[in-house]
Amino acid sequence: MIAIETKQLTKSYGAVPIVKGIDLIVEKGEIFGFLGRNGAGKSTFINMLTGIIQPSSGTYALLGVNGPNDDVKERIGVMPDYSTLYGSLTALEHLKFLSALSGKPAGKEWCREVLTLVGLEEHARKKAAKFSFGMKKKLGIALAIIHDPELIFLDEPTSGLDAESVLRIHKLITWLQARGKTIFMTSHNLAEVEKLCTRIAIMKEGKIASIGNMEELRSFHRSTIKVKIKHSPIPVSEQIKLQQWLESAGTDLEMKAPYVTITVEDEKKIAEIIRAIQQCRADVLRVEVKEPTLEDIFLEE
Amino acid sequence: MYVMGKREFLSLFKGVKSFIVIVILLLTSYYSAKFANVLMSGIELSAKEAENIHTVGLLGLILLLGQLFVAGLSHDTMNREIHERTMRFLVTRTSRTSILFGKFFGIWLFWFSCLAISFILISIFAERIDFFIFSQVLSLVTYQICLTILLSVLISKPGFTMFLGIVVGLIFPIFGFWVVFTKNVWVSWMKFMTPFYYLEREDYTFLVIFILAGIMLVIANLIFNRREC
Repeated sequence: MIAIETKQLTKSYGAVPIVKGIDLIVEKGEIFGFLGRNGAGKSTFINMLTGIIQPSSGTYALLGVNGPNDDVKERIGVMPDYSTLYGSLTALEHLKFLSALSGKPAGKEWCREVLTLVGLEEHARKKAAKFSFGMKKKLGIALAIIHDPELIFLDEPTSGLDAESVLRIHKLITWLQARGKTIFMTSHNLAEVEKLCTRIAIMKEGKIASIGNMEELRSFHRSTIKVKIKHSPIPVSEQIKLQQWLESAGTDLEMKAPYVTITVEDEKKIAEIIRAIQQCRADVLRVEVKEPTLEDIFLEE
Repeated sequence: MYVMGKREFLSLFKGVKSFIVIVILLLTSYYSAKFANVLMSGIELSAKEAENIHTVGLLGLILLLGQLFVAGLSHDTMNREIHERTMRFLVTRTSRTSILFGKFFGIWLFWFSCLAISFILISIFAERIDFFIFSQVLSLVTYQICLTILLSVLISKPGFTMFLGIVVGLIFPIFGFWVVFTKNVWVSWMKFMTPFYYLEREDYTFLVIFILAGIMLVIANLIFNRREC
C-alpha cells in the first residue's frame, strides 16, 4: 500500500525552480527521512503535499487519494516547520480546537494522553504564549497526532529540543510506526534519521540525489570505507614495497607500526590489503572497518 | 465550518475593542430610543419616518461608523493567521473554503447578536420591532463584513489593513452617499456597488446588498484558495 506518491512534482517561484520534478513513493508503515541542506526544497515539498502551497506542475496522491483533496486532510497530520501557536489558547484548548477542525474531536482523556506522550502533561492548562521554543515544538507534534491520522508529516520535529525530549520524541515516532502509521520526517540531525528511518532520501538543489535504506545508500553511494589493520612487525625490506602497493590501492594512507590505516572505495579491496600484508611476512592481528555513516554520505552529496 | 465559526464568534466577544463597540451600540440604541420623542417634537417628520424614529440612532451609527466598527474588530481575521503562520494549522486540517466561510459566519453571528439585542432594547421604547429596518441594517453589516474579509485576504500585512480599515471606514460612507446623489456620470455608476443606493429606497431592493456581499465573499474565497500560507 502506498502512502505518498508524487510524479514530476515541481514548484517554481517565477523563473526560479525550488522543487524540480520529484518522483517518489513512500509505502505505508514507513518512517521516511527527508534530508537536505537549508534551501534544498524539503519544506517546499512537504508544503505542497499538505496543501499549504500549490504545486506548479506534477501530481501527487496521499493514501491513494489524488491531491489536492480536502477529504484526505482528516487522515493526515502535519507539524509545520514553524512553531507558531495561538498565544491565547492553552495546550488543551489547542488540541480540542484543532482536532475538532480535523473532523475528529478529541476527548479530554485522549488529549491528556497525547500531552503525556510528548511530555507536556504538566502544561495542559498553560497558555501557549508562555511556552518555550521546545514546548511549542512538542505541542506541534501533539497537534499533528491528536486526530489519530494515518500519515504524519513532521518537519524537523526535534530541532531545539533537549536530549531527554529528543529521546521521548524518538520513542513516540517508533510507537506511532508500531501502530501502523506512516511518518514522513525531515531533520538536520543525521544520526536521528539513521536511527529511526526505514528509508531516506537526500535532496539536493530541488531534486532527490539519493534514495534508499541505509544499506542501499551505502552500496549505491560512491562513499569510502576506512580500514584500520593491526599487524605484526613487517620486515624493513618489505615495507617500501608494501607502501607503494597500498598507495595505489587507496587514499589517506598512514603506516604507523603496528597499524596501517587506509581509505578504500571498494570493500573488495580490504581482502587484497590483508593478503598484501601477509605476503610481506606479517600476520594480520585485527581489522577495523568503519562503514560510511549517513553523515559521510550526506556530506559527499 | 461550524468549528471555525464558533471560534471566531466567541473570540469576538473577548477584548477591549469588542466591549467598546458593544457598549456604543447598546448606549446609542438605548438613548436614541429613549429620546426619540424629543426628536419628533423638534423636526417635522412623515408618518413613516415617525414610525421608525426609535431606530434612527442605531441606523445612523451603522451607516456612518459600521464599516469602521467591523474593520476595527475583524480587519486581520485572515491575514493575521497567514502572517503568524497559524493558518498552516488550519489549511492542513480543513478546506480553505470552510475556513473563510466559517470566519464569515462567526463574524456575522456576532453582529447579528449585537444588532438583535440592540433592536430588542429599542423595542422596549418603541413597543414594536421593525423587522424591515432590522433586515436593512443586517444587509449593510453583511456587506461591511464581506468587504472587510476581502481586504484581509487581498492585503497580507495586518498593520496595513488596520490603517486601511480606518481610512475606508471613515471615507466609504461619505463617498458612498456622494456617489448616490451626484450627477457626475463618470462616478455615479459606482452607486450600484455601494449599499447606500439600495438602502435609500424604501422597498426590498436592499436585498441586492446581500448579493453584492456574496460576490465579495466568493472573490475573497477564490483569492484565498490560490494564496500560499
